[in-house]
Amino acid sequence: MDIVTLAFWGICLPLIGYSLFKKKNKTKEATVKAKGMMKGMLLDIIAIIFLIGLGLSILTPTVIAEFLSKLNPITGTFIAALIGCVTLIPAFVAFPLVGSLIEGGAHIVPSVAFLTTLTMVGIKTFPLEIKEFGFKFTAIRSGLSFAMALIIAFIMGGIV
Amino acid sequence: MVITLIKKYKLIFITLSLYIITLIFSNNLFFQAFQTTKKYLLEMLIVMPVIFMLTVLIDVWISKEAIIKHLGEKSGLKGAVFSIFLGSLSAGPIYAAFPICKMLLSKGASVANIVIILSAWAVIKLPMLAMETRFLGINFMILRWILTVVAIYIMAFITGKLVKKEEIHKEKELINEEFLIKQNYCVGCSICVKMMPEVFEIEQKKAQIKFYDKQNTDSNLIVKTAEKCPTKAILINKKYISKN
Repeated sequence: MDIVTLAFWGICLPLIGYSLFKKKNKTKEATVKAKGMMKGMLLDIIAIIFLIGLGLSILTPTVIAEFLSKLNPITGTFIAALIGCVTLIPAFVAFPLVGSLIEGGAHIVPSVAFLTTLTMVGIKTFPLEIKEFGFKFTAIRSGLSFAMALIIAFIMGGIV
Repeated sequence: MVITLIKKYKLIFITLSLYIITLIFSNNLFFQAFQTTKKYLLEMLIVMPVIFMLTVLIDVWISKEAIIKHLGEKSGLKGAVFSIFLGSLSAGPIYAAFPICKMLLSKGASVANIVIILSAWAVIKLPMLAMETRFLGINFMILRWILTVVAIYIMAFITGKLVKKEEIHKEKELINEEFLIKQNYCVGCSICVKMMPEVFEIEQKKAQIKFYDKQNTDSNLIVKTAEKCPTKAILINKKYISKN
């Protein structure tokens, strides 16, 4: 458990206790509401986690790294950004990976593009986001994120 | 019957098929996928209760007015800065942000600020920044952070202009009905049934209108019930029922 999650547990648990003590009925009502909301999402979230597990077993971080190092920077950047969209590698795996990529001589632009789309655009969470926020919102947010990831990558390539 | 079932559990169905295909082609990959999945399931088990508690706490303690004031359409620059801060305090992956954002949206936060919270939640995490500094250097981290924050603001501005709130809560045409239940929004929490058992009932896990009589049913109570609905699935025709 990372420190932030731990801190959240440490803050939320006593607050819920206090809330139950102070506004018993309202808290209970809100619990029923939240339960209803989460129940609708839970099955989909579990399905998505299984998809991520499968995806990560096929496209392992090392496979991606090897593949990216063979491409030229421009096409590499686009492909890196695309790979970043479909994979959902946790950041604590991605940073050391990208760090070793750059150290090993990989170009900085595709590496940054990969890092940014990796976390910001999620093809796998797409169905869930559509269900919760509608297609238009999801499509615009993801499309913009993709474009921004490329722009950030090229700017960083120019500066660093 | 089977088709509606598949439609309802589309994602689960797709995942299941992919796993079966994997099993046919490679035993090894199949078990590897399970091993990897286990790790992430564990992460979810740790994070989701926190999200659950946060959703409850926001609902009980933070008033609609406060959310409108700090995150609503007129919250301006202060709202945008506040949203980045909220999103950066994120716990867990992006899907964990969905319930909280939905709650904030229904309580009056603007679309632009929701985009900021969602994006910041995904990209800017305090432990991640420390990680990035360690492996890629402090200059790299700061530069990427600045560029990302700027990008998020631009995205939020554009999305806020293009997507109206009503498009997220897709509205059905209300012509003859006094009120209706948006079936794809109802999560079957049965709060409406508890509020007005004579009017609402749950059928196949969704709320339905059981009985409604324009003369005798208390329209104020229906408005109140609609406000209590966590997903705002009860839509009221303002022509028929007004709040006075």
